[in-house]
Amino acid sequence: MDQAFIRNFSIIAHIDHGKSTLADRFLELTGALQAREMEAQVLDAMDLERERGITIKAHPVRLNYTAKDGRQYVLNLIDTPGHVDFSYEVTRSLAACEGALLLVDAAQGVEAQTLANAYLAVENNLEIIPIINKIDLPSAQPDECKRQIEDIIGLDSSDALLASAKEGTGIAEILEAVIDRFHPPAGDAEAPLKALIFDSWYDAYRGVVIVVRVIDGVVRPKMKIRLMALGQDYEVDQLGVFSPKAIPVTELGVGEVGFIVANIKRVSDAKIGDTITEIARPAQEAFPGFTELKPMVFAGLYPVEGHQYAELREALDKLRLNDASFFYEPETSVALGFGFRCGFLGLLHMEIVQERLEREYDMDLVTTAPGVLYRVTTTDGVVQEIDSPAKLPDAGRITKLEEPVISAMILTPSSHVGPILQLCQDKRGVQKKLEYLKSDRVLITYELPFNEVVMDFYDRLKTISRGYASLDYHVTDYWESPLVKMDILVNGEPVDALSIIVHRDAAYERGRALAAKMRELIPRQMFEIAIQASIGNRIIARESVKAMRKNVLAKCYGGDISRKRKLLEKQKEGKKRMKRVGNVEIPQEAFLAVLKLGTD
Amino acid sequence: MDRGPGRVLASVLGIYVHIPFCSAICNYCNFNRGLFEPGLKERYVSALLTEIRQEGDGSRADTIFFGGGTPSLLEPFEIEAVIDACAEGWDLNGDTEITLEANPETVTPERLAGFRGAGVNRLSYGVQSFRDDELVRLSRLHSSAKAAEAFAMARAAGFDNISLDLMMWLPQQAVSQWLESVDALIALGPDHASLYMLEIYPNAPLRDAMARGRWSVAPEDDVAEMYLAGLGRMDSAGYEQYEISNVARPGRQARHNLKYWTDGEWIGLGCGAHSTRSGTRWKNLSDTEDYISAVERGTPTATDRRVLSADQRLEDALFTGLRLNAGLDVGIVRQRYGVDVWARYGEQFQPFLDRGLLSYDGSSLRLPREGMLVAHEMMAVFIG
Repeated sequence: MDQAFIRNFSIIAHIDHGKSTLADRFLELTGALQAREMEAQVLDAMDLERERGITIKAHPVRLNYTAKDGRQYVLNLIDTPGHVDFSYEVTRSLAACEGALLLVDAAQGVEAQTLANAYLAVENNLEIIPIINKIDLPSAQPDECKRQIEDIIGLDSSDALLASAKEGTGIAEILEAVIDRFHPPAGDAEAPLKALIFDSWYDAYRGVVIVVRVIDGVVRPKMKIRLMALGQDYEVDQLGVFSPKAIPVTELGVGEVGFIVANIKRVSDAKIGDTITEIARPAQEAFPGFTELKPMVFAGLYPVEGHQYAELREALDKLRLNDASFFYEPETSVALGFGFRCGFLGLLHMEIVQERLEREYDMDLVTTAPGVLYRVTTTDGVVQEIDSPAKLPDAGRITKLEEPVISAMILTPSSHVGPILQLCQDKRGVQKKLEYLKSDRVLITYELPFNEVVMDFYDRLKTISRGYASLDYHVTDYWESPLVKMDILVNGEPVDALSIIVHRDAAYERGRALAAKMRELIPRQMFEIAIQASIGNRIIARESVKAMRKNVLAKCYGGDISRKRKLLEKQKEGKKRMKRVGNVEIPQEAFLAVLKLGTD
Repeated sequence: MDRGPGRVLASVLGIYVHIPFCSAICNYCNFNRGLFEPGLKERYVSALLTEIRQEGDGSRADTIFFGGGTPSLLEPFEIEAVIDACAEGWDLNGDTEITLEANPETVTPERLAGFRGAGVNRLSYGVQSFRDDELVRLSRLHSSAKAAEAFAMARAAGFDNISLDLMMWLPQQAVSQWLESVDALIALGPDHASLYMLEIYPNAPLRDAMARGRWSVAPEDDVAEMYLAGLGRMDSAGYEQYEISNVARPGRQARHNLKYWTDGEWIGLGCGAHSTRSGTRWKNLSDTEDYISAVERGTPTATDRRVLSADQRLEDALFTGLRLNAGLDVGIVRQRYGVDVWARYGEQFQPFLDRGLLSYDGSSLRLPREGMLVAHEMMAVFIG
């Protein structure tokens, strides 16, 4: 098809600013979905979404739109994930577009997430059309939003469009603007095939489905193709587009967006950002920007019951079929037995994986405190990356210990600036910038040690700003820091799964708080339990859980023995859900106690 | 050698009769009960008599226990009719223990004489507390003075076997306040007493009242103290503890309730009543109306009938037996079930033995009082 009549674009928006409602309106207006079948269709997409798991975005949709000029256009709406954990995927999705709609809630204004993604769009040379949504709200302040778009993001907002996706106003105007203001895709139809992979997922019937934007050339069924980064060859089996139902096509030409099925077995073989070319006539260079995704956050996952280890392995294998960005390897803990060290893109990604294991695979898990990737130089000059406190060499052998640092952007109402700065200071942050974007809106930029952020930073930020502050970050650097390994001892025995790496100056306070939290979380048992925090051989905090004094119920009503029995069974069941370390039963949540310090 | 309860595994039947009526609903109670209604009561008693005629099979029985609800809301002639029907249906000898649960506000000298005349020979008063502030918090209808008066009336009516129930761990109750009630009970001198811990079930109206009144209950260590100190006073006053929450003057243990703890057999009559017989458990329909209509229509009143597996019978015998001061006689268990308790569970019990929470003398497993306080920890060992 003629690339002059194609427009590829995405919508950048903060959560709840109305992205999916706007997308639904586009579908409706272009007749992609009858209003009546709408609900069912959208739900189907969500099921698929859930199966696909972590990308948290919808597949691209092809809209056939007859514009006011009477011509027929193909508009490809490409979704972007809305969370910082997936910012690499955002950049690849944006690379498949020529333009982006910047959607801002007329009542809420610009948020950190919007800002971060808008910057990414600008960096990718996208045209941006600002859209002020929800203008039907009584609290809408479109002029204020325009001002923020200019002042905060630095975009010209004089031609911003006003819309209410909910009420359906301004929708056609947006589509007209997409045609007028976004460029058609460039690219050479005659050149060797070059197609950018910007999404992929595993389908039980078809194998891996990859979503591409054709940069140059054309792809057809039966074509022999090569994935350039991995150098693996396949034959195209099926081609298609989503409208939003999957529809087979006989070719995808330059500028087009669609899916390819090519008998690929694992999503890890079709990496996002990779380029597809034709073996017979290969492109000279791959599309730029490909990066191997590296996990940033690490935690141990253990089955509550040891015999579930094999099941957990199987579940992880299956999950990885669908999620190449997640990593795992076997790990053994003295306290928890056999489990896995897992790496995630970020905390949200970790939560998603955990939740899927529990819900879809019915696993009962103990998760240890998340940590980051440290860089350790030992006396023999060897530099290694360690993803677990257990792997940290003895203090005497370490000559240099470095930790990852992030650049964090926090956007907040000015009333919360004080406590937020305090929080950032407490977390060993270095302030880079503090800008009053207007009298009551502040952009704070900090460099923060990433390990402090994975602990409990986000929860505390939300608490102290009553949910109004928004955060975006990316890892920028490594810092050398005086870090120490802190152990927790239960009845004198170190519990390896509770060890954390912490800054020396914060160790005392963290140790005391952690021991106190553990005292709350470990129920009273038949004997007194000593809980200690230590660094090396030095005990820095001590708490004790007193021996249980009472666990008996007296009444036996009219000979109802079954009821008594049920009670005992329930008690026994509760114990099974705890982990026995030495002779102490430790509940699952205690292994994440370090995340809950200072939040109550 | 001690031949107390627990040494003899009961095989003679106990009869439980449920009376589901109350004049008011207590805010902490989740037993099977409803408000008193004369018409319903008459139909209910008549249904009971029918059920008794159907169930009676002439086997030996030596206890009848009227529980509730508030059984003392029935008229003496109704109680008498039930007792007479039981005597026709089962083989009762002259030494049958016949207990009536009563609330202090429901009795008069005339009614008590009537119950006595009907054949009731044991009274169990739900006193719960001798402090009026505590009784008000529990929404009880009687006062401390009324309880003392009801006790005196019962003695005057000729009852020589009276039990009083007291509850500890009440909202706002401190250890010293609990002991006041224990002392008041001792001063009256009943023949038997039950000292319970209040369990506030999840949706109890008492929970709302506690939230409104900002009432709290004592911490765990204080409850342990209440239990130990309360029983200590009962010891000094000459009572003998024979079960986790029951004490009695010599020879006055509740024969009926012992059947529950000694692997015994009992038949439950009336709505919601539980039965255990020949290795089978069942429960009657809980709802009063459902129960009456089933009896009237001649359809089965029993629901949830379960034949216990050999393991379940054993486990139940073990965990209930541990409640008795006499302990669990491993010889009897071996005889009945062919299982060596010590060989099977000894290792799991070692930590409790080491801490003095359990004792074993080669023939019986016994809980000292500190052990009774944490009895469920040990009972759970038996649950498969």
